[in-house]
This record gives sequence, C-alpha cells and structure tokens, in this order.
Amino acid sequence: MLTRRLILVVAIAFGLVASSVLPAHADVDGQQAKDMVSKLAKQAVEVMTGKGVPDSERVERFRSLFISSVDLPGISRFVLARHWKIASPDQQQDFVKLFEDMLVYTWANRFKDASDKIAVQVNGVKPDGDQGVVVDSVIVRDGQEPVPVLWRLRQTDGALRIQDLLIEGTSMIVTYREEYASVINQNGGNINSLLDVLRKKTVSMAQQQSAGKTN
Amino acid sequence: MTTRFHPSSFFRSCTTAFCTLVMSVVVAGCADAPPATDTEAVAEYNRANDPLEPWNRGVYDVNAAIDKAVIKPAAERYRDYVPEFVRDRFRDFLNNLRSPVIFVNDVLQGDPKKAVDTLTRFTFNTGFGAGGLFDVASGLVPRHENDLGETLGVWGVGEGPYLVLPLLGPSNPRDAFGVGVEAYADPFDRYASNMGYGYVTYIRGAMSGLQRRTENLDTLDEIERTSIDPYSTIRSLYRQYRQSLIDGKPTSDKPHPGLSGSYPDNAELSQETN
Repeated sequence: MLTRRLILVVAIAFGLVASSVLPAHADVDGQQAKDMVSKLAKQAVEVMTGKGVPDSERVERFRSLFISSVDLPGISRFVLARHWKIASPDQQQDFVKLFEDMLVYTWANRFKDASDKIAVQVNGVKPDGDQGVVVDSVIVRDGQEPVPVLWRLRQTDGALRIQDLLIEGTSMIVTYREEYASVINQNGGNINSLLDVLRKKTVSMAQQQSAGKTN
Repeated sequence: MTTRFHPSSFFRSCTTAFCTLVMSVVVAGCADAPPATDTEAVAEYNRANDPLEPWNRGVYDVNAAIDKAVIKPAAERYRDYVPEFVRDRFRDFLNNLRSPVIFVNDVLQGDPKKAVDTLTRFTFNTGFGAGGLFDVASGLVPRHENDLGETLGVWGVGEGPYLVLPLLGPSNPRDAFGVGVEAYADPFDRYASNMGYGYVTYIRGAMSGLQRRTENLDTLDEIERTSIDPYSTIRSLYRQYRQSLIDGKPTSDKPHPGLSGSYPDNAELSQETN
C-alpha cells in the first residue's frame, strides 16, 4: 500500500520535474522559434542590402516583412499603456500607424547599415509563460563586441510573432513606453501632442531614408 | 583692446551659470506627483523613478549643450584623425588601469572566478602587454567591467531616484556614490597624487571620458535619430541596463538576465497587450 503510494508520488514528482525541465512547450515549438529568428534576421539584411532594388521599394518590402513578424497591435497597446484606454478609437488607430512607421524606419536603417557582415547567432530558447518563448541570440559584427539580444516571441493569431527585443538587458517596448509616457506628460496629458510629435519625426525619418543618409 | 580669454571672467560666468541653475531648481522644485487616487498614473510616475525630473532635465540640457559644442566634436575628431592602432593602445591602457578597482568589486561580490580573471588579465597585460598598452590576455580571458554601484546593487542597495550628473550624465545616488569612492580610492590616482602628480589624474579622467564618448558616438546618434524625447529614452536605457548588470550576476537570484527587475512578466504582458 505504502509502496504503491510512494511510486505514485515519485511518478507525479518526476512528471512535474520533467515537464518543467523540457524546453519545448506544448504550445510553442522551440526549434520553430529559433528557426524563425535566424531566418528573419537573414531576410531583413537581404531586403535592405540586396542589389538591384530601388530604395523606396526596399523599405516597403521591409515593412511587409516587419508587419508579418511583429505583434504590432499588442506592442502598441503595451507602449501606450494607460493612455491607450483613454484614447479614442481614431487616436488608437493613428498611433498604431505612426508607431509602425517609427519602428520600420528605425529598423530598416539599422539593417541597411549592417550590410552582410552581420550575423545573428541563435544560442538557445526558453519557454516564457503559456504562449511564449524567449530566444537567446548574439549579434556578431566585424571588429565590434558581440551584442547579446533576447527575442521575446508569442503566439498571436495562429502565428509566432515578436513581442519584444532585449538588447544588452534593455527592453525595446519598456523604453518606448517610458519615452511616450514622458512626451504625453510633458504636454499636459494630451495624446494628440504625442501623435503630432510622432508624425513630424516619422516624416523626417522617411525623408532621411529616401535621401540615403544614415544619420 | 583685443578679445582674449580671461580665466577669471570665464570662471565668474561659470559661477553665475551654476547659481542660475541652482536657483532654477529651487524655483522649479520637484516633479508634480499625480493624485494618489489615479493609481495608473501613480504607477507610471513610479516606473519613471524621476521625482527630480525638472532639475535633471536642466542638467541634461546643459550637458547636451556642452557635448554638442565640445565633447562630441572632440570624439569625432579623435575617431576620424587618430589611427585605430593608437586609439586601441589608449583604450587597452586605460582599461588595464581600472583592473584593481574591478578586482576589488569582483571580490566584494563574492565572485572568485571573475576576480581570478581580472587578476590574470592584469598580470598578463602589465607584464607581457607593455605595461597594459596591449590587451594580450583577451584571447585567453575575456574582459569584464565592474564597479561599486553594481556591488552595492548586488548587496541589495536600491538605486534611489534617477539623477543626471553634470558632465558625467545618467546616474543615481547609489552609482554616483560608487563613482565618487572609486575616484578617491583608485590606487593609481592615489599614487600619482601622493607623488605630486595630481594632474595625471585629470588627464586620465579626460582620456577616459573621450574614450567613452567615442565608443558611444553611434549609439547616441541613433538615439538622436529615432527618439522623440532623448532625455527619457536615455533614462530608461540607463536604468534597465544597470539593473540587468546586477540581475545578471551569479550571486543574484534572478532567473534570466534581462527578464527581471521592473520588466513585465508574461502574465502582465499578456494582460496589457490583449
């Protein structure tokens, strides 16, 4: 009697331990996540540095790659935080659109400067809650210190999408959340003022992009 | 009479500028905290951890002006006109001089492996690297930084309110205290001062500053290009980075470097993004 119970306890304990140790989660395939990150980084560099494509089309190709692989609606809600709930549907829509531009021009330029000397080495993957994983990688560039980057991915609408990037311990979405909250608060809590500043900034970034300047 | 540089009037105007700054802080006072009933606004205010924001923004603006006029152009010229080989020798030499301070902090953090690393590197580079001019040990033992602010953080000392220091930039009381103690206790600086070569300390400080600014040229340009409020971007990056260094220590109990501290956990993230 006692032995049987003991076996049961051991079995349960082992089962629990095994399920918490196994890296692959029921909902998210770790290998798939790793492959996605390596493939995405390669594609982004290709789109931005491949030969024989006009600059304007490069950015649009980058944009479609970006939209399909980043959880933009989720990130937008997180970044605006309490201001999202106060914002009108129109303001929300405007913000998502402007924030998309901001991210596209920010990252398109980074991959453009990167050239093909850049490589993203995927090291490992860890489960992160029910629907997510964190992919551990290092960005290696010629003659520079390697930069550790964590990719936080989550299952949204049936596909794995990027939720956040953590570069040297700093979260992209947390940084945006603080920056935008600060702009809103500097302007007396007015969300439209943030939208105005974003509109101006993205227009000037788009001009820089098409002028081929890197800075 | 021709216009010449007069040190006395220069310092007088500096004093005036400083007094104006201090008075503006007194007038501006602290940032207004939101009413306690608005819990989400309070949470946002606490996340920024910047009750001295008006003062900090003032110092930031002065720093940014000095940077634009003097420091950044100097760093760009240093990068563009001084050969890489020479810059690397300065870098390695200055890094090597920091080894004793790094070693002490490794020990204070109870990290014998890192302490041995630092000691090995210092011995190798001083002995076989022409007194530290060449980082010959980096192939064997990679370099790591460490400082007293991190040590205090590992010991559980909180960061305190965000602070922008004149010239030195983003900090907090804990890290500023660390910088102050290290500046006082650094063995090379102490030796130089005791031998009557106190100015060597200033040259070293200036060179380290130039070195640091040169390394950060691209990063700060990128923030300038993409941020709509560089002040709060830098504040956020500094605080997250410092916290991640502390969380990443083997003696820290945090699970995953970069995914701890004030970072939202998965439950919070799901709730806030859906």
